[in-house]
Amino acid sequence: MPYFRITLLRSAIGLPRSRAGVLQALGLRKRMATVYHPVSAQVAGQIFAVKELVDVQEVAEKMTKEEMKVSRRPDPGYYIETRVR
Amino acid sequence: MLSRTVRRSLLDACSVLPPTFLLPCRARLINTVSHSTEADQVPEPLLNSGVHISPSPRAALKSSETPTAPSSAARLPQPNSIAPSQATTPIADSVKELLPSLRAQQPHYITAHIHARPYVVTQGDIIRLPFFMHGVSPGDVLRLNRASTIGSRDYTLKAGAVDHHLWNGKTKRKNGYLDERLFVCRAVVVGTESEPMRFKEKTKQRQRHVRTVRSKHRYTILKVKELTIRSPDEIEAKSDH
Repeated sequence: MPYFRITLLRSAIGLPRSRAGVLQALGLRKRMATVYHPVSAQVAGQIFAVKELVDVQEVAEKMTKEEMKVSRRPDPGYYIETRVR
Repeated sequence: MLSRTVRRSLLDACSVLPPTFLLPCRARLINTVSHSTEADQVPEPLLNSGVHISPSPRAALKSSETPTAPSSAARLPQPNSIAPSQATTPIADSVKELLPSLRAQQPHYITAHIHARPYVVTQGDIIRLPFFMHGVSPGDVLRLNRASTIGSRDYTLKAGAVDHHLWNGKTKRKNGYLDERLFVCRAVVVGTESEPMRFKEKTKQRQRHVRTVRSKHRYTILKVKELTIRSPDEIEAKSDH
């Protein structure tokens, strides 16, 4: 099931209240927040209303907040070979 | 005549080498005294490296490295501390061919990456990490398995660039890591170091109260115990099992 991955890049401060309402409906509360919504005409219309503020990608799977954090984390570069005890 | 050759080699060294080696005493030492390489397994380009004329083999090594690098430095899966990943991609032929040259010339250095930060170290070096490493105790042996370069005086094996996927779906070319089968780097946790206690006074506006916060950070210390480069035969044997 494909999803829209929507990231809020610019805040709606200073914009008409309807834009802020659309962002609220999408679940975007602050900048750089990312939400996933299933691909549908309704969501496409919502995105269209705030297209200047968000970054949109179509992805196959949705990720939880924790998974996104893990995917950003760099490789530790080591593993423990032998322990003292 | 000897002095003339020494001077020639010095001049050559000055024109070719990076500023670290510009010290005349050091350059002479390296040019005249051969390092601990056994005569029978020294490859051809190293035998006449006493008179320093080796930009050509170095260039050869670099130029042949760059196109083959993605296979040897393919983005490896995330390892964890219990079951480290083992790459299954074959080692590039040029790496197999030229690795003995690097291997024969001791000592080696490595750019090991711990949590993506690079540490340029050789065997015996002590690293004071800028953080406290959780889950380890003094005496534990860590295997450092992410490195971007391994090198000796004349040779450098560099990892090629790989595509790094950014959050917005764009890709960026970023330096990758070398294949972890090529080298063995072990570091021992020596202990921890702590900084002097820091006091910071915190104030609020229109308020007489002053709060003092105290902090005392601890840092883990590692010692590089082993840095060896595997021979192609060892790499083959490892990948068979």
